[in-house]
Parts: sequence; structure tokens; C-alpha cells
Amino acid sequence: MEPDVSIETSSMIRIAVLPVGEIHLHLFRKYAGMLGRHHKIELSTITDFYKADQKSPFSQQPWESGSLRFKFIVGGSPPSPWEDFQSNRKIHGVIGICHCPSSPDLGSVAEQFAMACKGYSSSVVQRCFVFSPGDTQLADRNNNKNKLVLFPPADQRTQEIHLQTMMQEIAASLLMEFEKWVLRPESGGIILKTPLDSQASLSSEEVIKAKKRRLGRAQKTTGDYCLLAGSPVDANAHYSTALELARLTGDYFWYAGAMEGGVCALLMDKAVHRDPAIEEEVKYRYNSVIVHYRKSFIQDNAQRVSPLSFELEATLKLARFLCRRELAKEVVDLLTAAADGAKSLIDASDRLILYIEIARLYGTLGYHRKAAFFSRQVAQLYLQQENSLAAISAMQVLALTTKAYRVQSRASIPKDTGSCIGDNGKMNHELVVSLFESQWSTLQMVVLKEILLSAVRAGDPLAAWSAAARLLRSYYPLITPSGQNGLATALNNSAERLPSGTHCPDPALPFVRLHSFPLHPSQMDIIKRTPGRPDWWAGSAPSGPFIYTPFTKGDQTTTTKQDLVWVVGEPVQVLVELANPCGFDLLVNSIYLSVHSGNFDSFPITVTLPPNSSKVITLSGIPTKTGPVSIPGCIVHCFGVVTEHFFKDVDNLLLGAQQGLVISDPFRCCGSGNGKVKNTNVPSITVVPSLPLLVSRTVGGDGAVILYEGEIREVWISIANAGTVAVEQAHVSLSGKNQESVISIGSEALESALPLKPGAEVTIPVTLKAWQLGLADLDGSRPMKDSSSPMLLIHYAGPTENHREPPATTGLLPPGRRLVTPLNICVLQGLSFVKARLLSMEIPAHVGQISDNSTHTDRLVKMDPYRGSWGLRFLELELSNPTDVVFEVGVSVNLENVDQNSSEFDYPKTRIDRDYTARVLIPLEHFKLPILDGSFLVTNSKSNKKAEVNASIKDLISKIKVRWVSGRNSSGELHIKDATQAALQTSVMDVLLPDPLTFSFRLVDQVDQGQGRVLAHEMTPMEVMVRNNTKDLISMSLSITCRDVAGENCIEGTNSAVLWSGALSGMKVDVPPLEEIKHAFSLYFLVPGEYTLLAAAVIDDPNEILRARARSSSPDEPIFCRGPPYHVRKKLDKTEHVVMRNYS
Amino acid sequence: MASTACFMIISKNDIPIYEAEVGSAPKKEEAAHQHQFILHAALDVVQDLAWTTSAMFLKSIDRFNDLVVSVYVTAVTHTRLMLLHDSRNDDGIKSFFQEVHELYIKILLNPLYLPGSRVTSSHFDTKVRALARKYL
Repeated sequence: MEPDVSIETSSMIRIAVLPVGEIHLHLFRKYAGMLGRHHKIELSTITDFYKADQKSPFSQQPWESGSLRFKFIVGGSPPSPWEDFQSNRKIHGVIGICHCPSSPDLGSVAEQFAMACKGYSSSVVQRCFVFSPGDTQLADRNNNKNKLVLFPPADQRTQEIHLQTMMQEIAASLLMEFEKWVLRPESGGIILKTPLDSQASLSSEEVIKAKKRRLGRAQKTTGDYCLLAGSPVDANAHYSTALELARLTGDYFWYAGAMEGGVCALLMDKAVHRDPAIEEEVKYRYNSVIVHYRKSFIQDNAQRVSPLSFELEATLKLARFLCRRELAKEVVDLLTAAADGAKSLIDASDRLILYIEIARLYGTLGYHRKAAFFSRQVAQLYLQQENSLAAISAMQVLALTTKAYRVQSRASIPKDTGSCIGDNGKMNHELVVSLFESQWSTLQMVVLKEILLSAVRAGDPLAAWSAAARLLRSYYPLITPSGQNGLATALNNSAERLPSGTHCPDPALPFVRLHSFPLHPSQMDIIKRTPGRPDWWAGSAPSGPFIYTPFTKGDQTTTTKQDLVWVVGEPVQVLVELANPCGFDLLVNSIYLSVHSGNFDSFPITVTLPPNSSKVITLSGIPTKTGPVSIPGCIVHCFGVVTEHFFKDVDNLLLGAQQGLVISDPFRCCGSGNGKVKNTNVPSITVVPSLPLLVSRTVGGDGAVILYEGEIREVWISIANAGTVAVEQAHVSLSGKNQESVISIGSEALESALPLKPGAEVTIPVTLKAWQLGLADLDGSRPMKDSSSPMLLIHYAGPTENHREPPATTGLLPPGRRLVTPLNICVLQGLSFVKARLLSMEIPAHVGQISDNSTHTDRLVKMDPYRGSWGLRFLELELSNPTDVVFEVGVSVNLENVDQNSSEFDYPKTRIDRDYTARVLIPLEHFKLPILDGSFLVTNSKSNKKAEVNASIKDLISKIKVRWVSGRNSSGELHIKDATQAALQTSVMDVLLPDPLTFSFRLVDQVDQGQGRVLAHEMTPMEVMVRNNTKDLISMSLSITCRDVAGENCIEGTNSAVLWSGALSGMKVDVPPLEEIKHAFSLYFLVPGEYTLLAAAVIDDPNEILRARARSSSPDEPIFCRGPPYHVRKKLDKTEHVVMRNYS
Repeated sequence: MASTACFMIISKNDIPIYEAEVGSAPKKEEAAHQHQFILHAALDVVQDLAWTTSAMFLKSIDRFNDLVVSVYVTAVTHTRLMLLHDSRNDDGIKSFFQEVHELYIKILLNPLYLPGSRVTSSHFDTKVRALARKYL
């Protein structure tokens, strides 16, 4: 059988094209290719070369429209035993091709060509084309007789024309030879034989039979020559005769042959395809041809030779003629029948050709699976031959089938098919299913195994590697661990024979998927700059009064991909997950990000994956140029070959696994992913030009600052520009919890250092005050959360426009950045406040002269022994020290409203040892207001009053500071506000407001007596002073009593020990507002000792203020005011003293 | 029972969703591959032929060597039940297909079954093999 047969084959003149002399295969192919373009020579073009010596036997030669067809047999072929039967099988011409520069001796070339031509006895025209001859060769005029045709070096077009001319010459020569052959007298006489005719012993009967058949066969052969000469009408005439004769002699084989020739002549003559009538005719005749070939089957020599191959060829010819989609059914029937014949074919190469042809025809028909099936049959036949050439052919044929079986190598897939799927995560079900149409895993594995086998046998390590990689990657769940190991060995063996660094489009293991893009560390946050705003960082925050805005939310959902911004020159990291689902240790020699945009340097790393394991690794790299970056996958160097693994493929695979369409999810079977498919989209990444980069560091170590509650400390934070661009703008702010614990930030230090050049460093002070621990923080079971610390935010940016860049990008500001420096504060429980109480006490005072110069107070409480301290009140703070250090507590009061030079009073420090409790007293005397004003006590404006009270309490509290010192450098302040407020709340009026009346006693000055001397048995003149602290006149009845140590009234009663002169009780006096009245009286003490003087008054017609101050409930109730007790120490003469003791 | 028979169900996406060697001949892996290859190739013929007839049962649409392919195309889902066989028992094959079709409809009615995915029910497998013994 012959490959590539068609009905027209009968009309083609075969010309062997042979290389002559030394010629490179590549050049030979090129020249042969040039020849191939001249496979059809119009009869009209060869008239110049055609010399009609005698009358042409081809009377109906269509000189206008006809043509001669050539079939170039490149490399030649051995003579066929069927040459007599079908003249087109003869090699009628030989063309040698010689490349002059490599074989300059034209003489030897001519000899070699002559030798080569001897093998083609049937050839009638022989030419040797000599390409690129030198001048010497051109000068040699002997060439013509040596059948050498020189093609002088010229441009392509000239050479083409030259070649065409030579081919026309050859065509003319062949035509003349055919004429000669037909006109040869003996052409009718020779016995034409085929291998089908018995060769060995010609019995007499058969000789007679042969003689009978001779005429018919001769007619058929003449017809063949007519066809070759391009004269179908002549051919048809001869074939008709031949048919008649063959039918008469029962020569079915030649009958069929003649009929076949007749069909060819018919088609040549009509030259109309797709004519249904002709098609029907062809079909009818060919069916008859097939039937007659079958009929000619002779049982005798069936073992040796059979017309079957002609029958099959005829079937294929008809199938090829009909091969159109509309006639698919008929073609399929023909091809099925042809395939059935394969079993009976004797010659293995015939079977090979048959299967090849069937596969090709199915392919033409669009039946790719059928084509693949027969291609695989071809490959199996090749593989049976067990030599490397056949293995190469098998491999190539199998490679053709991979598309139908959907196991094709990535290299053979056009680039754009992959991109239509998968950009957006939304893939409908149909699409997903069609993605995994490759579910014929059994077939696919068989095909890949066969490719691997043939590639190994053919010695093509790359193809073997690729097949093994596809097999392992796609079908690892169906391969036993030992099989997987075998494949791994095959991969390694193939890689050994490949040059290092070989790329293969088909990835093997591991499976690589994108895990995540780690966000910028908070030190390197990139903030979009809003142009034209001083607070450029605020632009990105959602605007409007609502925390949640549906519009911004909508924006976020439409842009599903988050955008990443990378900075030139700053290393970035990408997390990918690798999985090795196979049963061997997988050594990934190197893996790095594959970036096609060319502005990224990625750093390879080496990974080892144990069997059935997955691993998340960090791949890093540095962006080198601005612009978008796309990361479609990773470049993996594994099993000795470099491959590119696309994330998209694995994503699709995982999607398929989710739908139950893929055999296995490699990540899940490695125990990763927790059964949930994570779909990490590759965000759109843009690289921006270099930005400044601030790095912060706490001076004295980055550890947490350990502070006791309320402790105040200054820390220094050093900020350095680690980038390559100067910082031109910077703004410091606070965020996070406990922001109030940062008392001050020395941001001016940073601002004054701007622009901060690369490498420059600036230190800013930050004053911290430790906050109070809450109740939750106090139970030590939980570790301190870092989140409770405040954070220092520094928004900074480089120059607004990069001077090196062209101004095209002026609209886009380079982004700014944010440095987040957590102020790590660890607050320890310090001195703790237990409770606060308000204490009141009355301290004894002496009756005496009131010194007026005591107004200047240099201490918190001036104990004027003569003035007394009425209603002195103390705030008692109870503090405990649960820590293991000693605290010293000092109270200071800021009294700026008393004096202009805001003085503070410090009291001696109270030391509180560890695990002890101490009380600290804070006198509140000085906070009394000078005037009893109505404003506090107006009842009709409650809320106002409340607010006033609260304000004054706050004012009061803010003046009191309880500071503590511990050790050498810990100091702080107690937060006592709340406690004090609670303690003061109830009795604030008593603390703040003065009594309406102030009483005091004094001795009336006596010239010769020292102050405070009161002698017994002597009249002592005294004065009581009553001061009105209100703004209204107060009329009252004043009374004075005197008590002895036992508390008995000494003035009235039976045993009064004191005599008096002047009024002591029931004195009606009026005190003008804010003034003082004096009332003089004298006492005469009979007994030395201590006496207490008390002044009291009942106010007449008290007004509202007074009532409110006295907290009287009913308006009729008399308002009674009482002064503090005064002591009179009654002394005896010289030795005797009157000592009065107060026992209030 | 036929000595060689390979039964496959092919979804409308040309994916095999069920396959069973139901022949009585001793099983050989090589042969099973070959059977699947033949069935796979026959899909090309089925895809054209299915539209030329209203019948669901297409008998002997393709053959290779002495193995014949018969196909039953379901109407709605265009699922193809394909049988590769060496016997010529058309009636038996037709009955076999009809009963398997019923079984397949039961599988489809399972709300947890995603149409077009693999049929993994062991009950289905048992039933199909029983039907094969009965009819083929």
C-alpha cells in the first residue's frame, strides 16, 4: 500500500528527487521544497520545449486547459512490483540535487548521479540540478551532456523562474517520452504481469489465459499513460476498451484497475467537484471497483500476495473523495470497512499505512477521537518494531493524539486559550465541567505511559520528562507509591540527559498555590496622599457623618481585588503553599516567583517536602521598576528541569475538586486547607517609586516600659530614615487605647528636623503617664495585652513630585507612609487607693489678741492659736502598697488663687512600706469661700447649682496632688479624683461655704500685761467679734456662755464660778453685710482653771440663703449660729493659771 | 452472557461518569484500556448519529475488529450509555439499556447528585452488573 493515495494519484507522474554529492540535509530539503511548488505544469506553458517528431498518439490532448502533474518522491523509492499494473507507480523521472559549494567536482557529481539513476530503470528523464555553482563550474561547458543543470546564484525570484523553466522542460521531455512509449510497436505485445499472477510454473492453460488477457491489459496501460500525459479523453477511450476486454477474459483485477483509471479520467475531464451527479457516478463506479478487487482474490496465492491492499486503497480513495462533514456517515462506513481489512493484511507496513490513512481521513472529517484512536494504533505498530526510529515516529504520532485525549503538553496549547477562563472567580458550572472534560483517566494514563515509553526508547529526554511530569501531576492518586517512585526516577533519569537549566512547559510537582500576600508591616504602611490637603492621610478615611455608609460599602464589593502597592527597592514577600501528594521526598531545588512584567527580582529558595505533605513558604523579591507587577505563578526547578507553575491552574484544579470533578485535591490530601478552598486572587500590584522609610526605635531598648500606675516618665524615641528619599512632611498623632496616658510628644523635634535626609536620625521625647489599671487587668491571670498601649502614628511623605521623573505623573502624588510605633507600656499595680474620708475636727484656740499679720500663709494650715480653727476639715486618704517596693507619698496643694505667685505646699512625705497601708491627711480649710453667696444656695435653679458645685469640687480637687516617689527614678501621681469627689460630694457645702457668722473672742488690750494672760480674781475685759459673711444685714440675738472643764455652765446656775459685767445674753445686734461688730464684756473668774467661751446667736428673720445654709426644713425654725469654743486659761497670780481646755 | 462487554456512561460533557467491565471473559488490564479507547473514539460517531434519528437506542454504530459499539442516548440530559460487546443480541442489549436508564434516572433524582459528576453508588454498580448478567 502507499500512503496518501487519492483518485488523482493515477494521473501523477512520479519523479524521484535524490541528493547528489555532499549536501546538507537542511539544504536538500530546501531545494526539494522549491521543487514541490512545481507539482503541476500547465500544458500550455511547455509548448516551447515540445517537439512533435511524429503524430501524437494523444489525439484529444487538451493543450489549452490540461496539465501534467508531478509527484516528487523525495529520497526515491524502491521499484514497486505493481508497476506494470498501475503505470503511475513507475518512477518516470529522476532529479538529482547537488549543492555546488559542498561538492565542487562536477565530474564526480555527474558520475554519482548516473550511478543513482541506475536504480531507477523505469526513469526516462534524468536531470541533476546543481545549485550555487562557482564561476569555474559555470565556465565548464561539458555539463549539458552530463545532464547537469546549473542554477547560477541569484535571488530567490530569479531562481524560482529558472527552476520553473527547467521543470517545464522536464515536463515536455516526459510528455515526448510517453508519446514514444505509446507509439512503441511492441507496447501492445509485452506480457504485463502482476505479482498476483502465478509466477512459478506457467501451465499451458495459464499461458493461454495470459495471452488472452494481454490485449486488455495493454489497453489499460496505454490508458494509464494517457492519464499521465494529461489527456483524459484518450485515457477514457483506452480504458473503455480495456474494460470490455478484461470483462471478457474474466480478468477482474485489471478490470477494477481500468475502472479506477476511468474514474480518474472522468474527474480530470470534468474537473468539477461537488457535482452531485458526478459524485454519484464516482461512488457507483468505485463501489464496483472495490467489489471487483475483492472478486480478484485468489485462494492459491493468498499467503503470498493479495489484492486486498488495492481494495483498501480504493476504499481510502473513495473515502478521501467523499471526505466531507455532510457525508460523514458514508465515510465512516468506508473507513470502518477499511479498518476491518487491517486484520487480513499480510504486510505490517501496509497495516501501518492503512491506519495512518484512516487516522488522517478521520482527522479531516473532524472526528478527532477516531483519529486519535487510529493514531494510537499506528503508534502501537511502531512500538512493536523496537527500534529508535520507529520509537521517534511512535512518539510523534502519540503527540498528535494528546489533544483528543486532553493530555497535551502545555507547549502545544496556543497561548490565548487559557486566558478566556478564570480571570474572574465566577465560573459557571458548565465551564467548570468542561475544564475537566479530561476524565478519561484510564486512557489518558495509558497514552502518557506510551509517550513516556516511546520517548525513552527514542532517546528524547525532554519528551520523556514532560510525559512523566504530566502523568505524575495529573494522575498521582491513581498511581501506586511504587509507581510514583518509578516516575520520579524516570524524571530524574531524563533530567540527567538534559542540559542543566532546561525549560519544560509542563509542570511536575509540587502543586503551588497562592496562599496570601502579607500586608505591609505597620512600620511600612503606605497611605494614599490626598493632594491639596495638609492632612493628606485623612483623605482615605470615609467621610460623612455615619460610621457605616452604604455607598462606600458598595465600592468595596465591586472592587473585589484589593490593591497592593510595592515600593521600588524594598523587599516584599508572598506566601505560597506547596503540596507534595506523592509518596516520596520531593526536593525542590529552587522556587521563585515568576514575574512576566520584568520589573521584579525574585529570590529563589530550596524546599524539601516530605511525602504527603504541604508547606507554606515565603517567597520574596524586590521590585526594580515602577509599573504594574503580575505574578501568574512560580518558576520551579525540580527533578532537574525548570518549569513554570501557574496559580490559575491549581485554582481551577481546586475548584474542580470542590465540584467533585477532579480525582483529588492535592492540598487536602496533604492535610492542608481544612477542607475549605481558599481562593486567593492575585491582587493588582503596582510598584511606585522609592519612598522614604522611617524606622523607629525606643532609646534604651525596645522592650516595654514598665511603669507603676500613675507613674510619669519620659521616653525617647529615635526615628531614622532608612529609605533613599528624604522625608519632607511628617505629622505625629496618637491612636489606640489609653491615649491620655501620653502627656506630651515632642513632635516639634521631628518637625524641626525636616526634611529628614536618608540616613538621618531624630529623637523625639514622649512623656508617658501610666494609666490606672482596670479591674480586669488586676487579676493577674491574663497576660497584659499589647493592644492596651497607645500607638504613635507618624504620617510622613517624601517630596510631592519626584524630580527625576517626567512631569507626566504630576496628577498622581507619590503616596505617603505611616509609621506606627506602639508605645509599649506595661503598667504595674502601684500604690493603691483604698478609700477617702472627710474628717472634721475642732482644734482649740486661745482667747487672745488676733495678730493681723498672720494673713500670709506659708503652710497649708496655719494654726493660729488665737484665732482658732473652726470646723477644720481633713480629707483622709487611705493608701495601701501591695507592691514590693517602698513608696513615699507627698501631698501638695496648688494655691494659686490665694496668692499671685502660685505657690505649692509640700508636706513631709509619708513613707509607705511594702504591704502596708497608710493614711494621708489633706486639710481643706483654705478652700472656704470668703463670702456666703446666694449663688450656691438658690434653690430654684437646681441643675445650675449642681453644676456649680461640681465645678468647684473639681476645682478643689485639681488643686490637690498626691505625688509619690519610689526608688530612684520612679515617680508619679495618684489618681484620686474620683475617690475624693465621692468623699466630698455629701459635705461639699460645709467644706466650701463659710458660716454666715464668724465668732471670735479676744482680750481687750491691756498695757502692762502680756497677751493671753488672764488672772483669777481680776476683771478681764473681753470682746466678742461677730462677722457677717453674707451680703445681707443680719439681726440676731447674741449670747455668750462660759463653761468649766466639767462642761457646767459657770455663768448661770447655783455655783457660778464666774462673775461678769456687761451683757452676756439676749443682746439684740445687727451686723451689716460683710462687716464685723464687737461686743465688749468682762469676766471675773473666781477659780483658776480652764474655761470655755462660746458665742451663739439666734438669727432673726433669716433669709433664704441662711435657711438653705442651715439646712432648716421649716421656715419658722429659728436659725441658730454657734461659734467655735474658745479656751481661757485662768491663771493665778504668778503661779496660778487659768487653764482652759476644750473638750468639744 | 457475552464474553466481552464494557459498559460506560458518558455525560453530556463527554466525561465518563460510570464504567464497568461486564464481560465474562477473564479481565485483562490491557483489554480494558482498549475497550475504553474504542468507546472513546465511538463518541465521534455518536455525536453525529444521535441527531439523525429519534430513536434512543442506536445499535451497532461503530465497530473495531470484532467488537461492536451500541449506544443508548437519553433524551433530556444527552447522557450516553455505551456498550462495547461482541455478541449480537440486540434485544437483550436494548432491554439492558432501558433498565440501566431507569437506574440512572433514580441516581439523577438524588438531590445530592450533581448532574455530570461521577456515579459512585455501589448499589447502582451492583444493579448494573446484575442486569448485564441477565440480558447480555
